[in-house]
Amino acid sequence: MTRKLLSWEALLLFILIVVVLINVNLSPFYLGLNNQINLFQLSIEKIIVALAMTLIIINAEIDLSVASVMGLAACTLAYLHAHEQPFVLSLAVSLLIGAAAGAFNGFWVAYAGLPSLVVTLAGLIGYRGLALVLLEDESIGGFPEWFNQVGQQGLMGSVPFSLLLFGLGVVVVWVVLQRSENGRYIYVIGNSADVARYSGVNVKRVKMALFVASGLVSALAGILLAARLGAVRGSTAQGFELDIITMVLLGGVSIFGGSGTLTGVVLSILIILNLRNGLSLVNISGNTQTGIIGLLLILSVLIPNWLASAQSWWARRQESAAQVSG
Amino acid sequence: MTEPILEMRGISKRFGTTQALADVSLALYPGEIHALLGENGAGKSTLIKVMTGIHRPDQGEVWLNGRSITINNPLEAQRHGIAAIHQEPMIFPDLNVAENIFIGHGNRGSIVRWRQMYREAADILARLDVKLDVRSSARGLTLAAQQVVEIAKALSLDVRVLIMDEPTASLSAHEVDQLFKLAKTLKANGVSILFISHRMEEVFSIADRVTVLRDGRFVSTHPASEVTPESAIRDMVGRHMDDFFAKTDKEPGDLLLSVRGLSKDNVFHDINFDVRAGEVVGFAGLVGSRRTDVALALFGIETADAGSVTLNGQPVTIRTPQQAVKLGLAYVTEDRRQLGLTMPMSITTNITLPTLHQYANRFGLVQQRAERQTAETFQQRLSIRTPDVDRPAGTLSGGNQQKVVLSKWLNTQPRLLILDEPTRGIDVGAKAEVHQIIDELAQQGMGIIMISSDLPEVLAMSDRIVVMREGRQMATLNRSEATQERVMAAAMGQTK
Repeated sequence: MTRKLLSWEALLLFILIVVVLINVNLSPFYLGLNNQINLFQLSIEKIIVALAMTLIIINAEIDLSVASVMGLAACTLAYLHAHEQPFVLSLAVSLLIGAAAGAFNGFWVAYAGLPSLVVTLAGLIGYRGLALVLLEDESIGGFPEWFNQVGQQGLMGSVPFSLLLFGLGVVVVWVVLQRSENGRYIYVIGNSADVARYSGVNVKRVKMALFVASGLVSALAGILLAARLGAVRGSTAQGFELDIITMVLLGGVSIFGGSGTLTGVVLSILIILNLRNGLSLVNISGNTQTGIIGLLLILSVLIPNWLASAQSWWARRQESAAQVSG
Repeated sequence: MTEPILEMRGISKRFGTTQALADVSLALYPGEIHALLGENGAGKSTLIKVMTGIHRPDQGEVWLNGRSITINNPLEAQRHGIAAIHQEPMIFPDLNVAENIFIGHGNRGSIVRWRQMYREAADILARLDVKLDVRSSARGLTLAAQQVVEIAKALSLDVRVLIMDEPTASLSAHEVDQLFKLAKTLKANGVSILFISHRMEEVFSIADRVTVLRDGRFVSTHPASEVTPESAIRDMVGRHMDDFFAKTDKEPGDLLLSVRGLSKDNVFHDINFDVRAGEVVGFAGLVGSRRTDVALALFGIETADAGSVTLNGQPVTIRTPQQAVKLGLAYVTEDRRQLGLTMPMSITTNITLPTLHQYANRFGLVQQRAERQTAETFQQRLSIRTPDVDRPAGTLSGGNQQKVVLSKWLNTQPRLLILDEPTRGIDVGAKAEVHQIIDELAQQGMGIIMISSDLPEVLAMSDRIVVMREGRQMATLNRSEATQERVMAAAMGQTK
């Protein structure tokens, strides 16, 4: 029971409550609906990629190329639009490019057996390069009105589109991870790819599918980002990958794979959003905010270790006390 | 005779429930080559690890030059003049020969005197009568040359006892000759050599005395002149057969598997055998006999280069484990911890892993109730002792873990079950249970291949025994003609 109480998710919930309470004290407008919706809208693209990244990291891999794929998909869309292609076709091509970029990563990782850290680092550089080649130093906008609407306000009356998307993403990823056959394989492979292989699991297929999914979701996120910003340049979404990976790791997903829950990741996303918001309320600059989140990430690795050693110290003390009295 | 250099007196060492060494004594005299013989698991490795400070004995004493000493770690062993070289030399490929020789010298000051080091390294190699450039990189060296470097390293540390743990296993005949010449040079210099090998002819060509261990106990020490291969094998194998479950005799069914000329370059060569329904075919052999590689080639994890596999009269080429499972093959690995189970995940998850697809509905969602039912059925059938099948597999004892691995594969309803060391590292009670399960499965008509290094087990459970040695099939013995002596003689290359 004590273990349950000290679980990582419980700790995250506690941090979240503290952050929200401080923020409410700082500003009377904090809990207002507009502010909360704003929080999601400003980060929805990173959030949905973080959900896909959760699957990849549980599978004991990593995808550093996500932000570059976001940029590449957004630039492809802008490029085709600027060259007067039908808009829906352009959207489809952008998504396809994202999936292809993911498949390229997946091929080297799953079938050639290269480390994903290296492969997707190359992807980070290469896909960004392609995006810059496409748009050079131009900034392209002028998307159709309905497209911009998707990014900037609600589709369904008062429920904002981004919140809806977040909800949908969480449900899909939760079902995949906790209930589906493939989700089981993701955990098992993350724990031990050898055990999975010796059990007749098609490890390569699972890894390949995950990287394709990651590419596709990143492309979708890049398109959403284009819709929200209204214009795209070669550097769109640059550097997002670090925020995305932070969201996943702070959520208690082990960088070595095999463990972690979606609940933890959702809580960690909420903490990061609220923390950044609160820091903005007291006029702390964006760069300093990033530093503070970095600190939080280090603590997130340290605190469980401290708790574990405190627990074993306590157990030893109890034991020796029992020996003395007995 | 002179005083011994190193004396092990009454050494005992226990790991968990396994008594690895029980009251073993051994004396090494200056200028002798002493061979140590025993089956897998006889305690040879543990004894060496005690000598070199990797393990501390639970009981017993180590005497060096008439003084009782304790060796806490390999560095202390080195300071006492005790060094070991292994089948796979431990060299640093990016350093040159001289650097490798002097790697263990931490007391030569903080500045490297290259010229002096090269000169001393060359001196040592000259003493060994070996021509090797001390400035050349260690990367390109042959295995034999790497061993020479290891020996030179030991000499540079003024070695008095040199342990050679299967040094010849990967060497060519010519290289073995060179190594033996070197060993004799060391012997002439008063070094005492403990020599471990599974090759009888080598033991008899070089050893002065022979010690045999069995089941962690000392059996005999004799001058080599008084030992014959037959008498040594008799000492090695005489294990008790009593608490073993024997397979029930049964008329075998249809031909299930037929393997002809199966080969993989530099791994195994020309393997031929058949398995009928209801038959247990045992695979016996020593470490490095490559039995597991044959099994992995059948299961699609390794790929054979030549030969044919026929399953139920159909020729098959199995390239992946998925394919093997579909064809009705199952492979229970010898390495439960790394390859058999995911320890942090539940017993249920582990049992249903190869068959998970059958538990998914058409939306790809796993029906957890059905999964749990399967796990509980196997919990009863194989009496897996756990309060709850949702517990992590890692919480179980070794024997119960093995039953989970068995459940996982029985649930695939295989026609051919390959068991690799099915009772290694589990206690006596669980062992008997596993034997009974194997017998029941054979009665039900399953074909079983059982790789085991436990000789009495192979003899008691198998209808036929394939004996392998260094990738070659040395003998195929029927139940009636197989004895411990015959199997061990074939495993050690003493065919008649």
